[in-house]
Amino acid sequence: MATSSEPVDDPAVRTGDTGSDRIRRGGRGMDTIRRLPATLLFSLVVLAVFLAAVALGSVLIPQDPFEQDLLNRNVPPSLEHLAGTDNFGRDVLARLLYGAKLTLMVGLGGVVSALVFGAVLGLTALAVGQWLSVPVYGLIDFIRALPDVLLALILIVALGPAISSVMIALGIAFAPFFAYVARAAWMREMAADYITVARTFGAGRLRILYRHALPNIIGAVITLVAVILPRCIVTESVLSFLGLGVSPDTPTWGRMIADGTPLFERAPHAVLIPVLALSTLTLALALLGNHLRARVDPLRADERRRKTDR
Amino acid sequence: MTTVLTVLWHLTRAATLIAGITILVFLLVRVVPGDVVDVLAIEGGLTDAQAEALRANLGLTVSWFDQFRAWCIGVLQGDFGESLRFRVPAADLLWHAIPVTLRLAAASLLLGFVLAVSVSLLATLRPQSVFVSLVDALNIWSISVPTFCAGLVGILVFSLWLGWLPVLGNFLVPVIILGVDAAGQIVKPLHEEMKELGTAAYVRTARAKGLHPLRIVIVHVLPAAAPVLLAMTGLIAASFIGGALTMEVLFGLPGVGSLAFNAINGRDYPLIQAVVLFLAVSVILINFATDLAHRLIDPRPER
Amino acid sequence: MAPLLDVRRLGISFPGAAGSIRAVDDVTWQLEAGRTLGIVGESGSGKSLTGLALLRLLPAAAEVDDASRIFYRGQDLLTLPEDRMRALRGGALAIVFQEPMACLHPLLPVGRQVGEAVRRHAARPDIRVHTQVEGLFAEVGLPEPDRIGRRYPHELSGGQQQRVMLAMALAGNPEVLVADEPTTALDVTVQAQILTLLRELQEHRGLAMVFISHDLAVVSSMAHDVLVMRRGRMVEDGPMQQVLTRPRSQYAQVLIAARRRLHESETDTGHGDAAPEPILHLDGLTVDYAGRGLRTAKVRAVDGVSLTLAGGRTMGLVGESGSGKSTIGKAVVGLVRPSGGDIRLLGRSLAADRWRQPRAFRRHCQIVLQNPYGSLNPRLTVADALMEPFVTLALRPAEGPWARMVAGLEEVGLDGDTLSRYPHQLSGGQRQRVCIARALIPEPTLLICDEIVSALDVHVQFQVLDLLKRLQKSRRLSLLFIGHDLEVIRFIADDIAVMHQGRIVERAGTKQVLEEPQHPYSRSLISAIPRLAAA
Repeated sequence: MATSSEPVDDPAVRTGDTGSDRIRRGGRGMDTIRRLPATLLFSLVVLAVFLAAVALGSVLIPQDPFEQDLLNRNVPPSLEHLAGTDNFGRDVLARLLYGAKLTLMVGLGGVVSALVFGAVLGLTALAVGQWLSVPVYGLIDFIRALPDVLLALILIVALGPAISSVMIALGIAFAPFFAYVARAAWMREMAADYITVARTFGAGRLRILYRHALPNIIGAVITLVAVILPRCIVTESVLSFLGLGVSPDTPTWGRMIADGTPLFERAPHAVLIPVLALSTLTLALALLGNHLRARVDPLRADERRRKTDR
Repeated sequence: MTTVLTVLWHLTRAATLIAGITILVFLLVRVVPGDVVDVLAIEGGLTDAQAEALRANLGLTVSWFDQFRAWCIGVLQGDFGESLRFRVPAADLLWHAIPVTLRLAAASLLLGFVLAVSVSLLATLRPQSVFVSLVDALNIWSISVPTFCAGLVGILVFSLWLGWLPVLGNFLVPVIILGVDAAGQIVKPLHEEMKELGTAAYVRTARAKGLHPLRIVIVHVLPAAAPVLLAMTGLIAASFIGGALTMEVLFGLPGVGSLAFNAINGRDYPLIQAVVLFLAVSVILINFATDLAHRLIDPRPER
Repeated sequence: MAPLLDVRRLGISFPGAAGSIRAVDDVTWQLEAGRTLGIVGESGSGKSLTGLALLRLLPAAAEVDDASRIFYRGQDLLTLPEDRMRALRGGALAIVFQEPMACLHPLLPVGRQVGEAVRRHAARPDIRVHTQVEGLFAEVGLPEPDRIGRRYPHELSGGQQQRVMLAMALAGNPEVLVADEPTTALDVTVQAQILTLLRELQEHRGLAMVFISHDLAVVSSMAHDVLVMRRGRMVEDGPMQQVLTRPRSQYAQVLIAARRRLHESETDTGHGDAAPEPILHLDGLTVDYAGRGLRTAKVRAVDGVSLTLAGGRTMGLVGESGSGKSTIGKAVVGLVRPSGGDIRLLGRSLAADRWRQPRAFRRHCQIVLQNPYGSLNPRLTVADALMEPFVTLALRPAEGPWARMVAGLEEVGLDGDTLSRYPHQLSGGQRQRVCIARALIPEPTLLICDEIVSALDVHVQFQVLDLLKRLQKSRRLSLLFIGHDLEVIRFIADDIAVMHQGRIVERAGTKQVLEEPQHPYSRSLISAIPRLAAA
């Protein structure tokens, strides 16, 4: 049939082909690593070390993070205590490794609950209809109007000091970010022609949500997870620093910084080491988040260029 | 006619927002186990009988609804109640704290704004230059270095090691820390927006007129990026009003943040409510101001 | 005498990680003062890049070959220092683009935008900038030239916006004007006005013009010489008349033939069948779009339209943008809710059902939309896309959905392998075929085609229309074909209804409407159609 041999001289086709080329070439082991940008490599290494510390912490370091050695208080870093000891003579490195797990747990818990409160609730409300989405987004506007640290503070006071309440407080404080991103993505999707076509086939709102909109929205939400996770970790440390985070006997990094602050002058290492650890971790996560976003962006720019060139 | 409706609509929204936040906070603080009397009892060693008498005296024994009604009536008459801990009008405490916070917030915001705008201008103008890396560096800094960590290090370096500054009551260090933090938050979205606008058809038109790149960036690109700049500045301004908390605590500045922190810890209900009311009104005023600025810049009807 | 512009071996590439993309390859032409060169090509042909290269306005990612030369009055523009190039840009060399709305700064009054160009090039330092801007506005035929400068782009119509762009281009008193698809986004009547203005300006000012367009008919009405480009290369060049009558390259022959076949096709106005049942009947249909929020008033998009479409026939619904033609299509498939009147589909009153179409009934009427890029979800394969109607309409074909999908694709000229492809792996024409196949899966009686070929290149347009005509015959489909291009409508439709401001102003057989339009609006619409200059 003559019509089936229509030439494919579309720019979209060309970029499509080059895209798959790139993916194919990216598959070769060491070559791939050498190609990674330095910042991404850095963040991946930091995260690998961090995860290893979470997994193997108690195996690598013989000291007990809770054992007090009142004869060796505020000892600067030495061979015996690689990162020194704190005001109760507890080994700082052991506490740091133990705290890594807690910090990650609280941070992830915060992001996941923000995702649930924000994106899941928001999208469900949008899919169900205006009578639900208007009040839900009204509530989210309420939450957004309060500064997040203050809101988390009030919530933790209300819920009582426990890991779970910190997670919930972080979740509620950061839920608006997810809700707004979800709404923006939903609006963009609803304006797409393929959604219009699906509606003429009689597809219901929930089918449109999970079949059409969700696969396109999920990228934006995952990127946001990477962006919000470091902010959750930071906010947790702020709360702990203010004495309102997890309970005093669970050494998250923020709690360690808070505990060390009064004796800052005598034992700066007990504060600076967790500060350094915290900043390195959030730096690695932030770089990863930026990289994820950048991976999404060129695609969008590409589409835009194609539109203006036509 | 339509403008009247618009104003009414905005006023209604603002009122609902204030009312909603107030009720929310009113309920939240009362769900908390323990009240101000418990706190005082621990601090001052009151007997049970004394504590009960104090509770009745402070009006904590009546129902929540009655407490709320009494408080609302008071607020409408300009009376924000009395701090349960300090036994002085909450409004007075707030009144003394506001200037401290405003000074801190305004100075930091100004620094952040100027820094962010100039860095992203330069980065847009010279896409190959170091300024592009500076955009990322500022942004990464603001994400990964919590202000209180920077504050701790600042105290350590400048006060303890160098002995330059007094630890408490210092103003310059928190302003720089908060300003750089704000700049880091504003600069990235602003630069991305300006970069994107650089490919807009009307910017190409400006180039086709033979205009100088500097003129294009300042007259054509920056105003078009204003919505992003305004939105980010508004958000940060709102967060500074209440969220300069750790800086205030760390540097011993008696601002609204410190006040809120102490009030929450001490279960000082009227004070918490007064602070939250102040925050809600500030946030609404800030939103209103950004909205107004947006309308002044953009003549197009709202989409 | 040396030509004004002399382009030699122009080559432009986009270097990328996966190898360089060659966008313009070895293009050479000359332009004499006062003449017009037309550059014709489809999307991706490199015609616009060629125009942008003249002013060195190429996207940052583009690289021009070292061997390329663009001589303007003997100096090579490609090696000129940037500040001297800036003095020429908007001065001796000016450009207008397509989509004037996007090309004007939305936040600045138009007078300021033109004034900026006047001030930059200071062609007449003795006259006040304000006065010069007024003069330019008068020259391009804008109403109230003394006051229109205070208005913002969104307050002007598309035609007025393009006039402002022209005023801006004239501000530096140019010798060469590059017009890059200057009328593409405009309605056909406005297009005719702008083309007339361009011709007048050229004559009056003695401009040399480079006129770039995808539309051979438009170019043939403007240019003395023509250059046909395809995939970055020149495939044909020469005097306009010579190319039209004796095209040397096969591609130019195809382009011209496609246009002529559209134009010359015989429309058999009567099928001679026994009076077919009406499939679709609109009775005083009215659609309002509610204003957003409390503030804006509602807009009446369709205003009491009555129309009957008989079984097995094609109705062409013609109108310019904003005439309400697309809204009618959307109302019939239930995407917008009418505010008055009735739609009777297969004898069933939709108003009586309170505009809720039962699911089983939806299969009878399907729609294909304009943009084949947006109509397919980029994350779903063709198979997933074609599966959609089976699921939502609960279709259970005896031979199974897969066999039906393969058969459906073969019917539109694609093979079964396409099922595993993603939309970005298909060309625009292939995507539109997939969309047609998807719409035909529920075996509808009525197919609504909303501008379905507008986004496609000319020769692909023709293939899709041909396909549609065959499908209509073989399936006895009724078609409601919505469009703005009268040449396309002439090719496909048995009857035409002309819409203007939400109403139908004329309705008759295709031949009659095109040859003897009754209503003044139809007459102006038809006289504005760009035609290939007589062969």
